[in-house]
Amino acid sequence: MIQILDERTIEVNLPNKIGYERVAMDCAASFAKIVGLVSARIEDLKTAVSEACLNAMEHGNRGRPDARVIVTMNCGDDDFSVSVLDEGEGIRELPKEPDIEKKIEKLEAPNGLGLFLIKQLVDQVEFNEMTKDGHAVRMVIKIT
Amino acid sequence: MPEHNEIRLEKHSTVTVFCIEGDVTAFSEPFLNTAYQKANEQGAKKILLKFDKDAYINSGGIAVLIQILAETRRNNQDTAITGVSDHFKKIFHMVGITKFAKIFNTLEEALALMTKES
Repeated sequence: MIQILDERTIEVNLPNKIGYERVAMDCAASFAKIVGLVSARIEDLKTAVSEACLNAMEHGNRGRPDARVIVTMNCGDDDFSVSVLDEGEGIRELPKEPDIEKKIEKLEAPNGLGLFLIKQLVDQVEFNEMTKDGHAVRMVIKIT
Repeated sequence: MPEHNEIRLEKHSTVTVFCIEGDVTAFSEPFLNTAYQKANEQGAKKILLKFDKDAYINSGGIAVLIQILAETRRNNQDTAITGVSDHFKKIFHMVGITKFAKIFNTLEEALALMTKES
């Protein structure tokens, strides 16, 4: 379900099902295009939104089919922010930076790249924002 | 929302090209593994992973690629990538995939270099 809350804010309410992260991703891309983000940054935003939603579905909501993921996008004067809310208790320990050499040698699991990508692709990210509705990851990309 | 990849193997001289149609996510694992197994049975020594230019690739898909790269390295197979957008070139570089698989802009460029190498 997509709601335009005001001219600057859009909310996407997703079922907790892998694949639906693309709805939020495409919505963020369309909104970002309207407000003038350049295409390379829109691609960054798409990956960051997708990874944050996947993380919310798999880890925050622990795959529960009755849970929801709420993605709120806001366009400010200078930045574009996206908040991804799940029903979990936050990220207890942020994973360490992935080590590709170890992954190739099978000394480290091949997954666990999502948070790393988010940190690399957005200008600012805050994990573990706790609200009355759950846990949010907030990401910001500067428009100018 | 199960996804499906169509992976066609094409032999170009000494290079086996994996023509990967569709998005690359965790759901791609069985399709890529089956294709890799088939390529091994055919004695592949050089592997080129060719993606759809507009493919959506997420961290789950990258993890599957890392597993394939781990296998190609273990089996001493020269591996390269082509067809990815500039954004995913950047992502692959960030993650470190480019340390293990060179990225070529075009299929022709990749084949020209890979077939030349002994």
